[in-house]
Amino acid sequence: MEKEQYQQLEQNVTPKPPYLKNVAKAFFVGGLICAIGQAVSLFYIIFFNFTEATAGNPTVATMVFFAMLLTGLGLYKRIGQFAGAGSAVPVTGFGNAVISAAIEHRSEGLVLGVGGNLFKLAGSVVLFGVVSAFFVALIKYILVTIGVVSW
Amino acid sequence: MTLPLLVVLMLLNGCAEKEKFIVYGPSQNGSEVEALIKEEDYVERSTVIYYDDSMLVAVQIKPWEKWKKAKLEKKLQKKFEEKYPNKDVFVSADYKIFYEANKIKKDQIEDNKLNDKITELKELAKEET
Repeated sequence: MEKEQYQQLEQNVTPKPPYLKNVAKAFFVGGLICAIGQAVSLFYIIFFNFTEATAGNPTVATMVFFAMLLTGLGLYKRIGQFAGAGSAVPVTGFGNAVISAAIEHRSEGLVLGVGGNLFKLAGSVVLFGVVSAFFVALIKYILVTIGVVSW
Repeated sequence: MTLPLLVVLMLLNGCAEKEKFIVYGPSQNGSEVEALIKEEDYVERSTVIYYDDSMLVAVQIKPWEKWKKAKLEKKLQKKFEEKYPNKDVFVSADYKIFYEANKIKKDQIEDNKLNDKITELKELAKEET
């Protein structure tokens, strides 16, 4: 059997992924997570001295904490299986990535296992986040210096 | 099927009838301030607290206009400063400030406490982290 033939056969046999259904699931679960985030944000605004501008930091921390708790209890992977990107793209996916790596490598010891692998996946999120933030700020700084936009 | 729809419609109607433009303070030029804000069609709701020589203008901007929130805030601030040059005007589109302004109105806070409260809110609005 030739290589192309095999590929064609494989394509015929493989079931088609239900794209539309997956997108709908991700949309609604992701939206639900964001709605919970908005509720947490409003909670901080109303009951503590945070403004709309400053409530973001504690909200992110709380959402990551919730995701970490759910990951530890083994519930987040069920949400992830159901919703896919809907549960991975919001900041809760970051908390999940950190804790699941820690759980996976626990058997290798506390320092080399948990400590070394904690940011295995989340590290790239942090790295590219910082790098892209740097470049966006640089572009904005140049635009402000030229006088196209203002801060 | 029709009953829930009716309930929802009635609830939405209830929302619309809420007082949208509130002015709290000695009632000399209350309606003037109200008219001034109503001119700006991007403002959805507003609460103005004024006493002695200062003025706290808390507004909520319509959803699609919120992209330009900082700009509209500045525009409104400028407008009020021009209209009331001898008053210390502070405009904010932040939800926290709006919420607290409504609370001041609801609790009918008196003059000496009002001053402290508004200074506190101004400090709060300046915070960035």
